[in-house]
Amino acid sequence: MNFEPTEEQSLLRDMVRDFAEKEVAPSAAERDEEERFDRGLMFDRLAELGLTGIVFPEEYGGAGADYISYAIAVEELSRVCASTGVTLSAHLSLGSNPIYLFGSETQKQQFLVPLAEGRKMGAFGLTEPSAGSDAGGTRTTAVSDGDSWILNGTKIFITNAGEAEVYIVFARTDKDAKKHHGISAFIVEKGTAGFSFGKKEQKMGIRSSPTMELIFQDCRIPAANLLGREGEGFKVAMKTLDGGRIGIASQALGIAQGALDAAVNYAKERQQFGTAIGRFQGVQFQLADMATQIEASRLLVYNAAYRASNGLSYSQQSAMAKLMASETAMRVTTQAVQILGGYGYTRDFPVERMMRDAKITEIYEGTSEVQRLVIGSALTR
Amino acid sequence: MKILVCIKQVPDMESKFKVDAGGTWYAKTDLAWRMNEYDEYAVEQAVQLKEQEKDGDLTVLCIGSEKVKETMKKALAMGCDRGAHITDEEVSGKEPYQIAGIIAEYAKDKNFDLIFTGMQSQDRGSAQVGILVAEMLGIPGITTVVRFAFKDGVVDVKRELEGGIKACVSVNAPAVITCQLGLNTPRYPTLPNIMKAKKKELLSTPVQELLKVEARQETAKMYFPEKKGGGLVLEGDAAALADQLIKILKEKTAVLS
Repeated sequence: MNFEPTEEQSLLRDMVRDFAEKEVAPSAAERDEEERFDRGLMFDRLAELGLTGIVFPEEYGGAGADYISYAIAVEELSRVCASTGVTLSAHLSLGSNPIYLFGSETQKQQFLVPLAEGRKMGAFGLTEPSAGSDAGGTRTTAVSDGDSWILNGTKIFITNAGEAEVYIVFARTDKDAKKHHGISAFIVEKGTAGFSFGKKEQKMGIRSSPTMELIFQDCRIPAANLLGREGEGFKVAMKTLDGGRIGIASQALGIAQGALDAAVNYAKERQQFGTAIGRFQGVQFQLADMATQIEASRLLVYNAAYRASNGLSYSQQSAMAKLMASETAMRVTTQAVQILGGYGYTRDFPVERMMRDAKITEIYEGTSEVQRLVIGSALTR
Repeated sequence: MKILVCIKQVPDMESKFKVDAGGTWYAKTDLAWRMNEYDEYAVEQAVQLKEQEKDGDLTVLCIGSEKVKETMKKALAMGCDRGAHITDEEVSGKEPYQIAGIIAEYAKDKNFDLIFTGMQSQDRGSAQVGILVAEMLGIPGITTVVRFAFKDGVVDVKRELEGGIKACVSVNAPAVITCQLGLNTPRYPTLPNIMKAKKKELLSTPVQELLKVEARQETAKMYFPEKKGGGLVLEGDAAALADQLIKILKEKTAVLS
């Protein structure tokens, strides 16, 4: 067992941190305030740095690195801007990975290569008004018609929507099949007739990441855009989300680390009663708990990432990592605001944004309750 | 075209420094390490030149323990072709003349067309190594370069002098160039290039094979300046304050004498 990062992982962390602090951090508060996505900064620059296809092999336009490298990149971006972190995570884990895992060679060449190279952005459409934690409740339909599939329905809360060029969309292809058996996965390109975007959500956090509805009205896509086998959509979704949890766990980890760093810096500088507040044991105890929980989360994230990279089962481990890291992020950011006191509650300091950003990590890509369900059902199987 | 860039691994300057037990250098424990900032400009310029000259072959050299290989990997990921690691566990005890001697000994029979390095290191700050290497190799050395161009074997550079003055210098290769802030913006090592760097040649040579010169200087003591006493607060009405102030200025300074 070895807990030391490789030289490549260390170089990657230094590079992404350097980039994040110099280029992403300066506009994070403003983009949050304006609910503005900056594609050039939040995606195109990531592509230039080779981050949009981290885990995919070089022949598919990726960097051929491991999942720990992916976790490091998302963590370091999220440490200064959770919206940039989730942009990468949703693009890579959700929009691109299903094609790598389930796509045909033709689909990989057509869709995965431009996604991994960052010439196109990916997104993932599973959630519907009646299907969230219960993916079996999917009501969007896909009907086979000659060489096409015709999609009808609405997807909600879709990260990267509007900006992404490639969407993985889940639709019911067999009305009679029970629950999740009749669902299939499809690749839908932006610009396809009958595919439009609905309202942009106004959110509490990750406000510079776009979240919109996908609307399909007699949207005709080529039969070749079926991803995986017909009726296999639930499996595609669940496998995808196993990997997605590593991304969101890493995002949560980054948010928490950013909040801890801000709290430590503040505690060293803020003078009260004639001394820095960081010298008070009451503050030190809080910082110690925050740091300990973050370190525990990091080890869970890296363990899940290690297993994902080495062909080991990781569904349960990624659920544990996501559960722990997201709840840690919520707790740590709340404590960071408390340590910064009145200043922490203002937008002059980043911790209030981090606290708002942290909440979503307990909700999307499987709520904390669903993570407990995944872990609990594996334990009692 | 053969290019050499010499780099140094230094502590992150935001680290909390302590003087080590020997009292002549800083303690190396609990420090984060990185590439000397000025050497990053040197690497970037060398890589740009390599990209400009189609037959460019770029070697990065660094002296130190195994740990400096981390920093060399960054230079390789930025675009250097190969690494020359001079193994030396005692590098921090060597003064600039010895460091320059090691580099010159390495470079003397390799026909480098240009040698780049930072104008100084952030930790020792002697600003001597580059110019000493040039002298030892018997080639021109141009320091504090803020603009660089190379065409048909001729180097055209702009140097930064004190008081905002600039100087333009032309010289035929081979030459040593020391790089100053403002020369360029070092590129990020992209992830694909980080992955490729691990396959690049990185050969180690024991320093004993290259160290042929004796030290010419010795650091006697390294210390933090003593903390000066706090400010003096004068109290009383304006006339009394003025009298006190004049008395202090006369006694303790030369302002009114």
